[in-house]
Amino acid sequence: MTSVTTDVAAPDARKAGKFVYVTAVVLLCAWVLVPIYFLLINTLSSPDTVNSFPKPFWPEFDLGSLTFFAGFAGMLTALKNSILVAGMTMIMSIVIGAPAGYALSRFDFRGKELFRLLILLTRAFPLPLLALPLAVMFIQTGLDDTVFGLALVHTTLAIPFAVLITFSLFSGIPIELEEAAWTLGCTRLTAFTKVVLPLILPGITASAIFAFVISWNEVFAAAVLTIENRTLTAFLLQNLDTSPLHLKFAGGFILVVPALIFIFAVRKYLFAMWGIANR
Amino acid sequence: MTFYSKILGAASGLAIACTGMAAQAETLFWSTQAKPVEEAQAMREQVLGGFEAGVDYQPNDGGPWLTRLNAELQAGSGTIGVLGALHGDFSAMNPDDLVDLSDMGVMSASGTFNDLAKLGTDSMQYIPWMQASYIMAANKDALQYLPDGADINALTYDQLIQWAANAHEAAGEPKFGFPAGPKGLKHRFFQGYLYPSYTNGVVRTFASDEAVGAWEAFRKLWEHTNPASTNFSFMQEQLLSGDAWIVFDHTSRLAQAFNERPDDFVAFPAPAGPTGRGFMPVLAGVAIPKTAPDMDAAKSLVEYMLKPETQIATLRATNFFPVVDVALPEDLPPSVKAAGDAVAKMSGSADANPGLLPAGLGDKGGDFNRVFVDSFERIVLAGQDIRMVLDDQKGKLAAIMEETGAPCWAPDAPSEGACPVE
Repeated sequence: MTSVTTDVAAPDARKAGKFVYVTAVVLLCAWVLVPIYFLLINTLSSPDTVNSFPKPFWPEFDLGSLTFFAGFAGMLTALKNSILVAGMTMIMSIVIGAPAGYALSRFDFRGKELFRLLILLTRAFPLPLLALPLAVMFIQTGLDDTVFGLALVHTTLAIPFAVLITFSLFSGIPIELEEAAWTLGCTRLTAFTKVVLPLILPGITASAIFAFVISWNEVFAAAVLTIENRTLTAFLLQNLDTSPLHLKFAGGFILVVPALIFIFAVRKYLFAMWGIANR
Repeated sequence: MTFYSKILGAASGLAIACTGMAAQAETLFWSTQAKPVEEAQAMREQVLGGFEAGVDYQPNDGGPWLTRLNAELQAGSGTIGVLGALHGDFSAMNPDDLVDLSDMGVMSASGTFNDLAKLGTDSMQYIPWMQASYIMAANKDALQYLPDGADINALTYDQLIQWAANAHEAAGEPKFGFPAGPKGLKHRFFQGYLYPSYTNGVVRTFASDEAVGAWEAFRKLWEHTNPASTNFSFMQEQLLSGDAWIVFDHTSRLAQAFNERPDDFVAFPAPAGPTGRGFMPVLAGVAIPKTAPDMDAAKSLVEYMLKPETQIATLRATNFFPVVDVALPEDLPPSVKAAGDAVAKMSGSADANPGLLPAGLGDKGGDFNRVFVDSFERIVLAGQDIRMVLDDQKGKLAAIMEETGAPCWAPDAPSEGACPVE
């Protein structure tokens, strides 16, 4: 009796399970893709179509909105600044964050727990509160209105993520691996670079992506601390909320695409990190 | 090791890239106005392109605008040459931080505006730059539902409510639109339109019996208002999409509708109540912070902004009207013509009851607006008892007036000392 019921039930359950699985995958994909698709359609539509309802499902390839931004003074400089700032933020947050993560995972020192807590505190204060004293200091020290100065601020915002992500990555790699390398003639440094680093490189990429996205999305500090060297987000986002609908869509599209391209380019490292996390 | 060398290479490359920052020669125009991308573009190309020394026009949100300015003032050195902002933004500042512009030899044609620009001191702290107002606009399809005998250019609030009700019935859904969204300018409707029209005051009459009547009328209007209005901030969008047929908003926030489909919409004056047709100007000004790097260039830019040609170019770019005497050309964009006509009819009407911008509130301007927005939310959205809410909010308003000591402004009767809430 039992064998019969299981024989009948199992394919059903498997089918149902598969159905739930596929539905979940489709829903999650739609969750991400549908808004981006509508952004694309509205970017490539004429103002009339953008204001009409229901929206067409296929873009009509009206390039009016995009052409407007092509002629918008300072777009390319702002894009270059955004990439520079995000790139510097990425590098600095890894260079500072990864050693801190290594220390947290490998060494015992007094105040370790406190340090882990304190590092999160950099995110506890809202930027509009910090921006004024920061700007005053930047003006006095000459860091004001430089890409490097803004990257410093963004690095501060990104460091907690860099430290905590690398901390868990290093903790996932047994100390025995390093010890084995030491017995085979490695110094502490070479053991790190030859054994540990290749293992966590994907994870480092992931925290670099975090840093990139944090920097790319930050508006307030960028708007206050830069004038000539504005980032794309500071340059566009403030002006978009009061702009007509079709330009909002086109501007939003322009802001989203570079970040998407970047994440797409480094996606294989991301998947590799999840591979490590599963191990 | 290649990983390190890559990082080092990239870092040094970036460091080199960011050292070559050239010093700016252009005057930085730090503005809260003309923010939408199209207006910013037009300001740069059509308005400021003619200023020979060169201008870097940067429109900002209020928060970064003020933070950056304060940082430069505190640091004692700055890059901002000229400030452009609303009267309310300037009145929130310490007048000492702005350069005295009395000896510039330029000013607006309106004595009232020039007085406002003194910010309570004896000298001009900013120069009036451009003005606008709030008007009504409607889809021409809605005109057929106007109540019998109503003249669209001389509507009363009762007729407006009836009109909205007729449109509601005809369309099967409420078609009045009100900018009650997060960025909407709803508080100005209460301060400059509803209260003056019903109570002939704003502060003194805040909790009067007439004010209760005003809120009752607005509640009736709200029954025929698109409930999504709490999400609307720029009524041009809802006019164009058809979500609203009859709307109230700032002239420049209606401009896109008239420019895109000039034949479909009509602009008209705000309605009148028992105490006249209340309306309110919007005033923007230009000022120079005391930290301006090149004072002469900044002053010549301020002079340039007040030239008749620049004022007309500004009108085309931003839908804000000139503050100096100019002869308007014939070929203005549809939005300017429509709004200009409506404002002229509004101020020229027999029952006109012009109000002034709140003055003397300093940095309490936001709290002052909050009183009206909170009253709206409690009375209209939450349905609380009007008398109770007004008595409750009255205390907050009185505290603001006493703290700032701001005297009454029109249409309230003048006061000695702080404007009393009666």
